[in-house]
Amino acid sequence: MLEFSVLILIPLIAAAVCYLIKGTRSQYAISLTVSAFHLLFSFIIFIGLYKPNLPFFFSTDPLSKLFLLILSNVYFWVVLISFSYLKRPVTSKAEAGKKYYFLLLNFYLFANTAAILSNHFGMYWVAAEATTLSVAPLIYYYRNEEALEAMWKYLFLVSVGIAFAFIGILFLTLSANGTIMEGQQLFFSEFVKNATKLNPIWLKASFIFIFVGLSTKIGIAPMHSGDVDATSNSPSPIAALMSGSLRITALLGVMRIFQILTPTTSYEFAKLILIIGGLLSVAVAFIFMFKVNNYKRLLAYSSVEHLGIITLGIGVGGLAFAGAMYHVIYNSLNKMVLFFTAGNIHSRFKTREVNGIKSVINLMPWTGWLFLLSFFAISAIPPFGIFFSELMIFEGMLFSNKPWILAVTMFLLLFIFINMGKTLFQMLYGEKSEKAIQEKESFEIIHFSVIVLLILLIAIGTISPGILQENILSISKDFGIRL
Amino acid sequence: MQNVLSILFCLSLFYLAVTPRVKAYVAVLRFQGILLTILLMLPFIEQFSIFAVILPATLFIIKVIVIPRYINKIILELDIKRTIEPTIQQFNFLLLVIFSFIIIFLAASILSQSTEIEIIPFASGFAAVAVGIFIIIFRKKLIIHVAGFLVLENGIFLFGTAVASELPIMIEIGVLLDVFVVVFLMGIALNRISSTFEGFDVTILRRLKD
Repeated sequence: MLEFSVLILIPLIAAAVCYLIKGTRSQYAISLTVSAFHLLFSFIIFIGLYKPNLPFFFSTDPLSKLFLLILSNVYFWVVLISFSYLKRPVTSKAEAGKKYYFLLLNFYLFANTAAILSNHFGMYWVAAEATTLSVAPLIYYYRNEEALEAMWKYLFLVSVGIAFAFIGILFLTLSANGTIMEGQQLFFSEFVKNATKLNPIWLKASFIFIFVGLSTKIGIAPMHSGDVDATSNSPSPIAALMSGSLRITALLGVMRIFQILTPTTSYEFAKLILIIGGLLSVAVAFIFMFKVNNYKRLLAYSSVEHLGIITLGIGVGGLAFAGAMYHVIYNSLNKMVLFFTAGNIHSRFKTREVNGIKSVINLMPWTGWLFLLSFFAISAIPPFGIFFSELMIFEGMLFSNKPWILAVTMFLLLFIFINMGKTLFQMLYGEKSEKAIQEKESFEIIHFSVIVLLILLIAIGTISPGILQENILSISKDFGIRL
Repeated sequence: MQNVLSILFCLSLFYLAVTPRVKAYVAVLRFQGILLTILLMLPFIEQFSIFAVILPATLFIIKVIVIPRYINKIILELDIKRTIEPTIQQFNFLLLVIFSFIIIFLAASILSQSTEIEIIPFASGFAAVAVGIFIIIFRKKLIIHVAGFLVLENGIFLFGTAVASELPIMIEIGVLLDVFVVVFLMGIALNRISSTFEGFDVTILRRLKD
């Protein structure tokens, strides 16, 4: 019961407490304590010091342990910098909305943990929908027209999408007709065990519906628009939270159904769908990078691109699958770094247009240099983690039966790198305008977090801890991949 | 009995396809809520238990009382005009609906040969999903989009009873609560939209583009 209360109940209680307490400072203290405990506990569970035994519809396996740790980590850093973020001046309308900020964050943690740890498709669905509900008001943080439109579109698109995923879950029930699973509960673990006995037609239909439905939430093409709008118009900590943890929670749902398909005849079909989805996402990012003039949108498209690469890796299988798992970790760390620094730039220049921003490196040296490093990290420059994971994915593609994917992906990624670099360098360098006031940038907690996260990105990539390797090997084994 | 209720459900979808009034949408949502409640109550005629009444009761409260009232309140508060402002002609919309009904019912009867399913509730549920999507695509008003989403949800619910999936009661209630909160948040957003923008239809949501 201990693990259940720390991971799931306490965030819910903290959300309730945040409703009762009015001061932002005390709300922050409570949320930070909860997030630290959550992180500590997820870490202990991950390294295997504690064998969790969750009740009801929850359980852990290597995959959920990894995703739980990623969630906890992202959430902890987001909460840590939130207070300094909340202190920044906003319009009086937005000021009033701040009192719900930590409440919603805690509720998000509760819902997302429940989604990741659920062993039951119904439970997963309810929890995943609850994460959407907790994030939607946070997108509307700035209380302006763009934020409102983004929130409406996100809420609507994801709700419809997730309704489709529910149809997929019902199809899964149908696929069990006439087998020993008939009339049984929808537990992932049971379905995985009896996968070969399921009806392949319904299983395929189920996969398509769940994949298409959840891809609104993962943010992969062609259903990415709601997600891109939401990420680019929400405050930076929320954008980091969405890109780093919410998207992979939706990915988890797709991976669960994919795991069920692994030993069946529909496996190749599912792989093909994932490859198409992944390639399409990278292609969409490729196209939009040519004309994007809003740097937060650019980062949102970068999320589309990287989730696309992850999906591609899962679809290709083999070594690319393991690479994709590493990529999930690195991408979540990297997106946090990028959005945190971009948030700093936004609050200084008060614009999201690339053209309105010049000479960031001179005006804000800390932020500027860290932003540059984060850009190198996301572009897979060694020694940052993404380099290693992309290398693995590429190697997997090369030795798969479809090596042409590698050529296409490399081509697209090259232009994404060039265009993204062109835009960002334009922001970082360039003549500063006359009226720019030279005020020295102070070292803040955001810079500290970014530095720690960048070090983590390098450290995990170069040291490659044995425990992580073991975990990813056992995930691969669960997906029928021998490395 | 299940078939009769499903056919009534289909008729309500046809009514949605031809009516130009916003109020009628709310009435249909309420009617569909009642149908689903009766559908859930059916098994208890033979075997009554207090515990099993919780789900139909929650469904009734949320889908028949709370959500329609809430939508009516929004319509009154925002003084939304009484017509739905379609983007295609009503007659063409009806043709589209009829056409998709034919396809869905044919597909369901073909599918039923290989798998054991209740054709009529299965197809009706799916048809409601299709009609819900059509409503969202071919209507301009945002409040009607919310109604379309709810029709889609009702369809999935009916569909769920057709495939005889028995989710645990806690999860079923969670699903209902989620739907309620979605509608609630959409209502708040609509309120804000009406005070921020001029109007309530999709044409005003054009700021975010590439």
